[in-house]
Amino acid sequence: MFSIFLIRAIIAVILISIVAATIGSFSVFRGSTFLVSGIAHGALAGAALGIYIALTFFSVEPLLVAMLFSVLFALSIGYFMYQKENVDVAIGIMFAFSMSLAVLFLSMIREYASVAWGLIIGDLLLLTEDDINLLIASVITIVLLFLIFYRKILFSIFDPDSAEAMGIRPIYYETLLFVLIAIGVVSLLKCVGVILVYALLIVPAAASKRIAGNISACIGLAFIIALISGLLGIYLSFFISVAPSSLAGLVATAIYALTFLKR
Amino acid sequence: MFQQGIEIKNLTVRYGDYVALEDVNLRIRHPSFVVVIGPNGAGKTTLLKSILDLIPHEGNIRIFGKRPKEIRNIIGYLPQRERINTNIPILVRDVVLMPVSARKFVMSKNDTKKAKKYLKIVGMEDYWNHRFDALSGGQQQRVLFARTLMNEPHILILDEPFSGTDVATKMSLIKLLHKISKNKTIILVTHDINPLVECTDVVVLLRRRVISYGLVADTITEENLEKLYGARVPVIRREKICYVAGSDVHV
Repeated sequence: MFSIFLIRAIIAVILISIVAATIGSFSVFRGSTFLVSGIAHGALAGAALGIYIALTFFSVEPLLVAMLFSVLFALSIGYFMYQKENVDVAIGIMFAFSMSLAVLFLSMIREYASVAWGLIIGDLLLLTEDDINLLIASVITIVLLFLIFYRKILFSIFDPDSAEAMGIRPIYYETLLFVLIAIGVVSLLKCVGVILVYALLIVPAAASKRIAGNISACIGLAFIIALISGLLGIYLSFFISVAPSSLAGLVATAIYALTFLKR
Repeated sequence: MFQQGIEIKNLTVRYGDYVALEDVNLRIRHPSFVVVIGPNGAGKTTLLKSILDLIPHEGNIRIFGKRPKEIRNIIGYLPQRERINTNIPILVRDVVLMPVSARKFVMSKNDTKKAKKYLKIVGMEDYWNHRFDALSGGQQQRVLFARTLMNEPHILILDEPFSGTDVATKMSLIKLLHKISKNKTIILVTHDINPLVECTDVVVLLRRRVISYGLVADTITEENLEKLYGARVPVIRREKICYVAGSDVHV
């Protein structure tokens, strides 16, 4: 009936939707959608470094190195902000730095570069048990930290001056948000790839923000839009022979376009 | 040590090579209504942020004899509205409850009651379930003001609370300030002192240094304003009325 790969793909879509609803919504609220793209590309450098380490020194899962690299990317953005740098400039600098490293590492691993390049596209229907386990671990981490720090993160991104005046350090909570974005983005790479991670994290949240009445509704609706997009993407991929993540991205964008019909 | 209010001694703030405030010394008695005026770049917001201990500075600031960080819970701060992120579909009730919800995991009925009370005081009780970003600038300012009152602060620090508000909103906010100013120290930065003259105890004229400090009648003089703005600004006085030309409202 259902192949194990299809079941994994469906589980992955549910987990992706949770990430899209939480992290995606807060990226949109914070106005840091460029960070998602920056981290996704930065992860490529981490994966290439992981492959280089595995080939030269010891066995290591490239995606875990990518995760570590992306978390460092997020912490660096926090540090730049602490130094009063504009957040977009900080992301741009780290983006350029990690892409330069990506090219450097890819040229060092030559014939194995295709493994790292595989992250560019990703495939929902080719996920292994390890990929699902990593996704589950990431989602649990994100949801737990999100539940604990949700209100402080919200205060920090809504009104950083007042938050600070009350003794809440916005720089810590914004950096925490960036780290959660990094974890979310990297855990999705194997599923949807570097380019489409943006589509599935940002577009559902952007669409729901246009029609939802409050934050909870926005998060709930972003989950539903991401879920519908992912499941429809898988379903349509049986009829049109293309990667389901690309179809999911198109569905999500179509739903976003439909929100303009709402007056 | 001065225990009855805010004492600022030798306050100097530098941003790199730029000196934003230089050797500012002030004693503000509690309770009082203090208005800080000065041209753009005079260091008004820097002064407020220094009092809140939000920026690195030289010199000493004590509030009731303590460092500002030690008594944050008795200070309410209203920052410039332009700094608020209106890209979030947050409800008015969540904005007002923010100071409580950021500290407590579960909110009590009393917190909700208090939030409703302060929203009523600012005339926004009907907007409890409205989206904050859908409100007008003046309405947003009222909601933020209600939030500032949630901790029942002894000291209120307000950074340009009237910016972007129309004349009616401005006047109602001033009335509101007047109403709640009993037993509180209010320090307010504004470009427009005229509508505040009636409730103001002390005016600070600031241009990186304190140009003048004292009662309205002693401070708002043509000589002082010329020192402050670098140009002649006529001041019209008739009994209790003081009108600084160039401002849009007067009492």
